Amino acid sequence: MAKQIYDVIVIGTGAGGGMAIKTLCEAGLKVCALNAGRRLDPEKDFRYHRMPWDMKFRGLDDPKRRGESFGYMDNEYTKAAWDHEIPFTVAPGTKWMWPRCNAVGGKTNFWGRSSARFGDIDLRAASIDGYDVDWPVTYDEISPFYTRVEKMIGVASTVQNRASNPDGSYLPPFKFRCLDFILEAGCNKVGVPYLPDRCAQLTQAHEGHPACHFCGECTTGCDVGAFFSTPYFLLPKAEATKNLELRTNALAKNVLVDENGRATGVAYIDRATKQEVEVYARAVVVAASCIESARIMLNSKSRHWPNGVANSSGQVGRNLCDHLYGESARGYLPQLLGQPSFPDHVADSTIAWMPRWQNLRDPHEENFIRGYSVYPDGGCTDFPWFANDLDGFGSSFKREIKRRYPTPVSFGIQAPSLRSDTNFVDLDSEVRDPYGIPVARMHFEWDENVLKMWEHSKQVCAEVLRAAGGVVESSGGDPEIPGWSLHETGTCRMGNDPKKFVTNRFGQTHDVPNLYVSDASVFLNCTDKTTTISILAFSLRTSERLIENFRQGEHKAA
Amino acid sequence: MAGQGIQRREVLRILGTAAAAAQFPGFSKWGFACGHVGNAALQVKPATYHPQFFTAAEYATVERLADIIIPNDGTLGAKEAGVAEFIDFMVASDPEPQYGFRTGLTWLNAHAEQKDGKRFAELTPEQQTSLLEPLGFKDKARPGEEDGRRFFSLMREYTVTGFYTSEIGFKELDNPALKFYAESPECPHKGDPEHAHVTPAHS
Repeated sequence: MAKQIYDVIVIGTGAGGGMAIKTLCEAGLKVCALNAGRRLDPEKDFRYHRMPWDMKFRGLDDPKRRGESFGYMDNEYTKAAWDHEIPFTVAPGTKWMWPRCNAVGGKTNFWGRSSARFGDIDLRAASIDGYDVDWPVTYDEISPFYTRVEKMIGVASTVQNRASNPDGSYLPPFKFRCLDFILEAGCNKVGVPYLPDRCAQLTQAHEGHPACHFCGECTTGCDVGAFFSTPYFLLPKAEATKNLELRTNALAKNVLVDENGRATGVAYIDRATKQEVEVYARAVVVAASCIESARIMLNSKSRHWPNGVANSSGQVGRNLCDHLYGESARGYLPQLLGQPSFPDHVADSTIAWMPRWQNLRDPHEENFIRGYSVYPDGGCTDFPWFANDLDGFGSSFKREIKRRYPTPVSFGIQAPSLRSDTNFVDLDSEVRDPYGIPVARMHFEWDENVLKMWEHSKQVCAEVLRAAGGVVESSGGDPEIPGWSLHETGTCRMGNDPKKFVTNRFGQTHDVPNLYVSDASVFLNCTDKTTTISILAFSLRTSERLIENFRQGEHKAA
Repeated sequence: MAGQGIQRREVLRILGTAAAAAQFPGFSKWGFACGHVGNAALQVKPATYHPQFFTAAEYATVERLADIIIPNDGTLGAKEAGVAEFIDFMVASDPEPQYGFRTGLTWLNAHAEQKDGKRFAELTPEQQTSLLEPLGFKDKARPGEEDGRRFFSLMREYTVTGFYTSEIGFKELDNPALKFYAESPECPHKGDPEHAHVTPAHS
């Protein structure tokens, strides 16, 4: 019996993989998708619309799991969706948190939904300030892909005409809450922008998807699909073509190559049987998320590729970047003391943003290069976190908690680390996962530039809060540890020079023409914007390039 | 409203979780009343709670402390919300705070004996409050009571967590969680963006 050969194997079903799967299937290619975890059943697995008292540990999770928690999204409501079986290690001195959702759809099941486009200020940052290299893609080139993605997923925002943030096509924005108007007035006084965020949450029905019902529980999963995730928006379209075979619990181990070093398929572990299985195709797309994609490629050692597949440059796993997250300032708004409660939480922290305002006129006007953005948050949330900072007990304490309930505000920074030779991922030859595969080892430290942004943000956010008439309670402290943001980028950067970059400007690896990378690992750095919408735009472009290569006969269609 | 789909799902959800909820901490004290489904509200039969971590005497003190921290003073408090059950359950599930609770309760009783010649539980409410004030109010703190302040702060933290994650706690704050809206809710004071003239709703 002849072995089955698919046109394309796609590893991963998150933003990068999901877009590739949908685009390739719709073009008529036969796709085998591998996903390391299971399919989620929204009725069972999404515990949103559950009150804390419906949960055994009130949503706080079993304290015994505290040591193994991998981040703020991995909680009692969603824990069944996050992977805790595959370990990783850190080099001495490195701290790293690595939340991985290996369920079908990956992190798109629970993502934060902020969806700003990269602009030339990001893609040509090196030309502007002299650090590192430009992206091999201009804004004019990628812009139409953003437009198509925005149409597919639905993004609520406004046209803002800012140099740092190209505008797109938007659904009606989220309306400002009391705290937004107050903070906006403070920002106006200080001279920093305060605007509706770009939020991929449907403020009206869009492309067959229902409008949001504003329950505020997006990050525990949406069982009506009112924000973008691949299981609601992309995978059903792929499945409708009948060109998709989705294999779940299939943990990709390595890319298989022939005697010429070209990709022939993928070896994976069936996690149900623990058996290794091989699957074959004419082209392979790696989209397992930044660090896992690097791990798979580095583990794909062969006579041709002794350092990992498509790694003649030695750059696979290098250039890891991440967003520094942290609370730059926190306090409360006395104007709202004792006001009736208000649903301030309907889009978590993505109703408004303070988009990058630094280094716009002159790339060196601050003591750091590039820039950061800030997400304000606050008001009536699920729990009065401020209560432990109040004094006393009894009726006065209880009354003060109620009086303060609508007033808290905080500012969360999103600041890009700079590319560095010392931030990377490699394999730990000493440690293997339960299936015998060497694990990823993280080497990472925040650089001086991003720490200067952090200091800058603490000062500005405290100033904004005071200018808004607020009371600053904290504007110090340390940022979150690396990995917290779930925005890692780099590890397979795209560029024109095969000696310096893993893939070409289309995400096709220089070394192995039928091997593509289609997630944030191809990004040159992480900018001040979130990653998902850009992963979607670049994945769409890579997928169409792959289809074109099939048409040209490069990968010999089935 | 977001449509029939969600309401139907809500009813199914409530029916599905009510049985499990009956065994969760904090549920022996009060019925599982579901505002969402009106007359279909489900009642869980009150039962006696058997502490898993605390001794009976310790448990009674924890319940009393929670009641003092968040009292029933016109709106329901920690006692009605079953906060002591929650604390016992969480501490039983977690070795980390166990030492702090156990030694803290011992400290409190020794302190009460020293000051008033009786264990904490046997004091009058007035005596209990005056014993706790130096532990709970910063400007009343007394040197030599650092261990007691540390314990009181631990006790207060668990009480706050247990109370404001209960249905009674949600009602106390009119917590807007999990309500549904037809469109994105908007500030009702648009004529006054700086909110300089918002009338206080509570004194």
